[in-house]
Amino acid sequence: MPDSDSLRDEISREVDANTILVYGKGTKDAPRCGFTLETIQFFNHFGYPFEVIDVLENVPKREVLSQMTDWPTLPKVFIDGQFYGDTDILGPMAESGELSTLLGKVFEKKGVKPSVVL
Amino acid sequence: MGNTNCIPAMIDRDGVVALIRAQMPDADVVVTDLTGTMDHYDIRVRSSAFTGKSLLDQHRMVYAALEDARQDGRIHALQLKTEVPSA
Repeated sequence: MPDSDSLRDEISREVDANTILVYGKGTKDAPRCGFTLETIQFFNHFGYPFEVIDVLENVPKREVLSQMTDWPTLPKVFIDGQFYGDTDILGPMAESGELSTLLGKVFEKKGVKPSVVL
Repeated sequence: MGNTNCIPAMIDRDGVVALIRAQMPDADVVVTDLTGTMDHYDIRVRSSAFTGKSLLDQHRMVYAALEDARQDGRIHALQLKTEVPSA
C-alpha cells in the first residue's frame, strides 16, 4: 500500500498534468455521485478540457487529498494547480464572470481555445 | 415536520441549525431537506463570522461545525451557500 508521501507525489503530478482536474466519485462516463455528475456538467458547459479522477474506492488517497486541501468532501476541483473547492464555490464564481476570466487566462497561456458549446 | 420517530442516523433541520449556531451564534441559517430523507441538505448560512474570509474558508467553517454529523453519517450530502450580512 502506498504511503502518504507517495500519494502526495501522485496527486501533485496529477494536478500539474491537468489544467482542470476533478477528484470525484466515478468517472466522466459513469459518475457515481450526484455532485460529481453536477461538476462534470458544469465544466462541459465551459468547453475546456478537464479530467476526472475517480477516488471513490481509494480511501488512503481521499484522506491525503482532504489533508492537502483542508476540505472534507468530494468532488474536489483544481484549476491551474490551485484548489477551488467544489461547485458551491465555482457556481458563484461563474455567476460573477470570475471563472470565465480565470479559465480564459490559464488556457490562453497553454494555447487552448474552448470548443464551441451550446 | 411532525416526524418524531427519527432513527439516530438522521438529523433534522433544527439540528443542523443548532450545530452551525453553536460555532457562529449570529448565523442566519436556512436548511432545506433536498430528498425528504433527512440526510441530503441544502444549507444557506449568513454570518458576520465570514467577514474577511475567502469563500473557501467560509465553507470550511461550516464543514467544521458539521464535522461530527458528517463523520457519523447523519449528514450524507450537503450543498452550501455562505454569505456575509450586508451592512
